Amino acid sequence: MLQAIDLVKRYGPVLALDGFSLSVAAGEIVGLVGHNGAGKTTFVEIVSYLVRQDGGHVTIDGRPPSASRGRVGVAPQHIALYPSVTVREHLNLFGKLAGLRRAALDSAVEELTVALRLGAFIDRRTAALSGGQQRRVQAATALINRPGLLLLDEPTAGADLETREAMLDVVKQRAGEGAAIVYTTHYLPELVELQATIAVARSGRIIARGTYDELVDGLPGEVRLIHDNEEEVRVSTTQPAATLIDLLGRAERPISTIEVHNPSLDDLYRSLAVSDAP
Amino acid sequence: MLLETGYRPGPAAALRESLHRIRAMAGNNTLIRLRDPGQTISYVVMPMVLMLVLEPLYVRAVDGGTTKVVTGLLVMFSVFAISIAGNAILAERTWKTWDRLRVSRAPAAELLIGKTLPIYVVMIAQQTILLIYGCLVIGLPIPGNVPLVLGAILLWAFTLLAIGALLAAIVRSHGELSVITDVGALTLSSLGGALVPLSLMPEWAQVAAQASPGYWALELLQAAVAGDTAGVLKPAAILLGIALVCGAFAIRRLTRGWGRGGLL
Ligand SMILES: Nc1ncnc2c1ncn2[C@@H]1O[C@H](COP(=O)(O)OP(=O)(O)O)[C@@H](O)[C@H]1O
Ligand SMILES: [Mg+2]
Repeated sequence: MLQAIDLVKRYGPVLALDGFSLSVAAGEIVGLVGHNGAGKTTFVEIVSYLVRQDGGHVTIDGRPPSASRGRVGVAPQHIALYPSVTVREHLNLFGKLAGLRRAALDSAVEELTVALRLGAFIDRRTAALSGGQQRRVQAATALINRPGLLLLDEPTAGADLETREAMLDVVKQRAGEGAAIVYTTHYLPELVELQATIAVARSGRIIARGTYDELVDGLPGEVRLIHDNEEEVRVSTTQPAATLIDLLGRAERPISTIEVHNPSLDDLYRSLAVSDAP
Repeated sequence: MLLETGYRPGPAAALRESLHRIRAMAGNNTLIRLRDPGQTISYVVMPMVLMLVLEPLYVRAVDGGTTKVVTGLLVMFSVFAISIAGNAILAERTWKTWDRLRVSRAPAAELLIGKTLPIYVVMIAQQTILLIYGCLVIGLPIPGNVPLVLGAILLWAFTLLAIGALLAAIVRSHGELSVITDVGALTLSSLGGALVPLSLMPEWAQVAAQASPGYWALELLQAAVAGDTAGVLKPAAILLGIALVCGAFAIRRLTRGWGRGGLL
């Protein structure tokens, strides 16, 4: 569905993309992760034809971005809504711009209102909404015409629990219907929940791509114990359960706190930096 | 289940779809204007008050003082209304919404029409209301050639819209825009003879006036109100030229978007 090969984008001296290649199949969710400045948003902007690349190729269903207007649903990283316009009016506007009319428009609005839980504030102006509510409205405007390719740039940034749950449900549902989805985030658990393919961007290119099992599962997590005298023990381990039992067996004082951390995105970035080194 | 993607409508259907999208855009922008009417109202009420106060002065000072006070203040405050156009367009950048529209199915031309049409209507309404007020309250003789006056208003509003769009495309913030429109409007329109009749101004100012769109707008409107069809032609041609040049530059900038580079 989406194929990007060797994209290059320069901003003056900055190489925002430096040989960025990524493909997404219909029905696939690609979780695009990476530090700030890695080039995720630039990639999204090129695919949505807001920005032109200096090198490389993009095709969406075989067509270039210039011929794909209206076929790509984009939820930008930053909130981009009209402050004095209500949620319902936003959905109607973006639905109509996508060519929906009357019954089709009404049912699309109705469906997203339920799926993204917009009902309680559907007739409020967006300026009066919380950050999480605005995130959901923004996503709804990107989803309204069931585009075959969805680009969701940090759709859960600063979001509350309700927003995150609703977002993940809708994304899974749309992938199930066959949409290709690029989902950028800084939260690994979301990608586990979405069963997404993980693509790691660094310095303008994708340096690793694979499933959670392939990329993360073998990485060390951390077990942390705190004794009743505040003394702390931290062990980095790939086998948290066994390590925990072992530590508990050897503990000489009562224990007040036990924490087991699964590997995080930072652990993943660190492991890639190490395996990357010459 | 997903929307099919390869569909190409015939010309009639394409036009219908295009109008559907323009209507959606224009409707949205009308809502936004209606919910923030303060500036528009003040640019209608202020010249009304000024006309009332200044009319006796003008009548004593110059021939045709009534026409001059009405058209002069109309031109001056219509120039101020450039900031309504500029702010409305610039807001799409502040809100980051313009890029959302640019990824929609609507081509840039539709977005620009849908964006500017409601502002154009506001500008035409402002000038029409002020002229009617001039006739009913200030004593401006009712123009013999109404279509000519209407044509003059349509052209002048179009010029203002194009200038406003150009400013919105090149300034970096609302603050910058309001400095340019306030200072610019006052200078251009008073230099053009909108505040003080040209004949009372120093000689250098009378020469410099010809560089101001406000001057040509006054010429245009005064000729139109007097029913002088021949006198309308030259100022109309000059204003149309200004409008086309500004409009072309604005369209070039706006269709490419502002990008993240110059974010506010
Ligand atoms: N419009 C722009 N002008 C200048 N530099 C930019 C612009 N857009 C992005 N960049 C730079 O390109 C790099 C990649 O940015 P971005 O794509 O936003 O990364 P990410 O979304 O992964 O955080 C950064 O160094 C950023 O500063
Ligand atoms: Mg980003």
